[in-house]
Amino acid sequence: MINLQDIRDTARNMLAKNEVRGVIGYRRSTNGMLAEPVIITSPEQADELIWDPTCFHNLSLYLVEDRKFLAHTRAKSDKPIAIIAKGCDARSTVVLMQENYFERKDVYIIGASCEGTGVVDERKLARKGIVATNSAFDGDDFVFTTAQGEQRIPAREVMADRCLECREPFPKEHNIALGENKTGRQLEAPFTALKRFEELDPAARWEFWDRQFERCIRCFACRSVCPMCYCDECVVDSTSFPVTGQTTAEEKANRVRWVERSATRAENMTYHMTRVLHLAGRCVDCNECERVCPVNIPLRLLNNKMEREAREQFGYEPGASIGGPSLTASFLDTDPGKFIR
Amino acid sequence: MEKILAKNKLDEWVAALSDYQVSAPIMEDDIWSYKPVKGTAQLDHSNTVQPPKGFSFPQREVFFSFEQIKGEPPRLTPVQPKAQRHAVFGVRPCDGAGAVRMDTVFNDQFQDNFYQARRSNVAYVGLACNKPQGVNCFCQSVGGSPVSSAGMDVLMTDLGDRYFVAAVTDTGKALMTAGGKLFSEASADDQKKLKQTHADALAQPQRAIKNLDAVPAKLKASFNSPMWEELARACIGCGACTFLCPTCHCFDINDENTSASPLRGNRVRTWDNCQFPDFTMHTSGHNPRENQGARLRQRVSHKFQYFHENFGMPQCTGCGRCITECSVGVDIVNVVNKVTEHVG
Amino acid sequence: MSEQQAETTTDYEPRIVAFLCKWCSSAGSDLAGVSRIQYPANATPITVPCTGSISPNYILSALKKGADGVLVSGCHIGDCHYIEGNFLARRKIHLVKELLGFVGVEQDRFRMSWVSAAEGAKYSQVIKDFVDDLRPLGPQTKVKADRS
Repeated sequence: MINLQDIRDTARNMLAKNEVRGVIGYRRSTNGMLAEPVIITSPEQADELIWDPTCFHNLSLYLVEDRKFLAHTRAKSDKPIAIIAKGCDARSTVVLMQENYFERKDVYIIGASCEGTGVVDERKLARKGIVATNSAFDGDDFVFTTAQGEQRIPAREVMADRCLECREPFPKEHNIALGENKTGRQLEAPFTALKRFEELDPAARWEFWDRQFERCIRCFACRSVCPMCYCDECVVDSTSFPVTGQTTAEEKANRVRWVERSATRAENMTYHMTRVLHLAGRCVDCNECERVCPVNIPLRLLNNKMEREAREQFGYEPGASIGGPSLTASFLDTDPGKFIR
Repeated sequence: MEKILAKNKLDEWVAALSDYQVSAPIMEDDIWSYKPVKGTAQLDHSNTVQPPKGFSFPQREVFFSFEQIKGEPPRLTPVQPKAQRHAVFGVRPCDGAGAVRMDTVFNDQFQDNFYQARRSNVAYVGLACNKPQGVNCFCQSVGGSPVSSAGMDVLMTDLGDRYFVAAVTDTGKALMTAGGKLFSEASADDQKKLKQTHADALAQPQRAIKNLDAVPAKLKASFNSPMWEELARACIGCGACTFLCPTCHCFDINDENTSASPLRGNRVRTWDNCQFPDFTMHTSGHNPRENQGARLRQRVSHKFQYFHENFGMPQCTGCGRCITECSVGVDIVNVVNKVTEHVG
Repeated sequence: MSEQQAETTTDYEPRIVAFLCKWCSSAGSDLAGVSRIQYPANATPITVPCTGSISPNYILSALKKGADGVLVSGCHIGDCHYIEGNFLARRKIHLVKELLGFVGVEQDRFRMSWVSAAEGAKYSQVIKDFVDDLRPLGPQTKVKADRS
């Protein structure tokens, strides 16, 4: 079990010795029992840091925010920024470095293993009717503080699907690592949820996705929360094309717009499928996109599908090594080609 | 007009409203949403993820279609929304209050015909909250109440085995009249039970904005404060809080072409979002709200300062959706309280 | 390009958008033409420099605009004018195909072929087969945008 004091001491020491610009971690939010991301910059703030089953956010997103902020303010930094990273978060950090978004020396990874339990899935918890004011790790269980007192639940009943299927809870890429290495703790085989979906025939699949894409309100929460969606100008933002005083009406009318602002089924479908294809080989299954969707679209299924193709057809593992190639900018002679006439 | 409706008669009342498309909260894919219902409705929901503003102010509204044959002036064909009457059941008082604010905006110095055409066909059958429907409710801090009938055409209160049903507008009276004999007279006991239920509801604790009266001035004084950057540090600039808010109404207008030659298309209004980084992007590339702190300040100030200055009421109705749905813990109650505490 | 109304199923002619690489498949389609090979006129060809340059946006956009079938055709493996382009296409198109099938779009609506500049006959056969396979599926409605 990770001792919270270790997390706090590590952060405090690094900040006191001026070894890092800041530490990206978790603190208690004002919203119920949930954790929220925080970037602390002084040693005194280290006591705010927490570590509990609601630490599901992928903090590598804030590495991207930090980098954009540095670029925007034209600031230079000779010190790295530290991040508390679970297994999944460390993998997405690797992908960012693989793509040269920043260098290895720019980030100090404080690995935090979620050991045997992963993190909680709020929806599964709500389905059980549990309303809690606090949560804690305890071996293979989660312990919740409710109005009826403490409630202990085996983690596997309310763990996120991606945690159940997780191959690597221990952050492989790290500067220091806290917690036990429970690699191989898989409580469910990888792609279990995906395979269950693939049992549906095409008509049933379409009926399902038709309903999902219809419901999307195009809030872009999925894109905003994804560390890999760091493009300053996204291909689906039809209004972000630059125009000048000389642009004619005809030029504007003939401008290529891949996706319109209207949140209709066809536009939403184009948006999601484009995004998923852009994430193929880069998505590490942190599940944030699905978690943040206010209308519960199961985005993980789409990204999982791409990951399965990457692993099984192309022998490619997302977030495996900083020096590795990208999935869609490389190829093997053994790539499947039977579908080509 | 105040009546009693036995709970097992609710379905029949819905069925009697044959002139209306009735919508009620349905749990689908783990979330509550308003969905069309026929002849039946349940009112065992907390609150829907999306407020009912979409009935009057849809995500996508076509203003007109256009066609341009080369050498001729463009042909514009206005599009009128289908005349469809809606009766929305289960609307919570925070969302009713939201309708009041939306109506205020769209009927201010300029009457928005598109909004009006739809709004005049939407009836809200509200359901009072006997207890807070979520951990983030704070309607009482913003001048609202869990039993308010503001914005409603009918207000229902759950008395256990029956509903107390009160008409608020003429439309509401007509809805109840359509139910005819399904309703029975409200007795003195019913009135007593109603009063008690409402009093109990008002006594339930909620989250609190500490000093609403001081907020507008504090926000004004906070404009240049570095607090905003700090408060928005975790914000990812997604659109959830704004799109799910019962009173947010900013929109964008675009032409969506369906054919290049001859040029044809539709002029379309869609929801827009002040939390998107490009919201205030100018064609020159300058963006007056360049960072998330400025955008958060905008949203909170619009809700608690600018709307108050323009219309004498807070724009926020305390539904709590922005807090619940924020994936990174940005909390408007916390933000307003912190600003009030630390500024000026 | 003028809009066409959807025909009734008896008169239904599938509309295909064909992304053809400039150096091989587009030349191959030209050869079919000058050789006077008769084949169905259902395909609208769009020349791209290389199949490797094809973005998923092109394919999704064609489907969104109502294409009943989309074809991507390029040089044979090993013969790419840009050396590696078709290797990359082989991977990316596989992903697009799998994703379309995953959400329930009929697998037969999207296909890929290798057609060289000398294979005019093959090109005409590819189109002919595609049209025959598309007819029973009827008009594509899943990805197509409602243009009203």
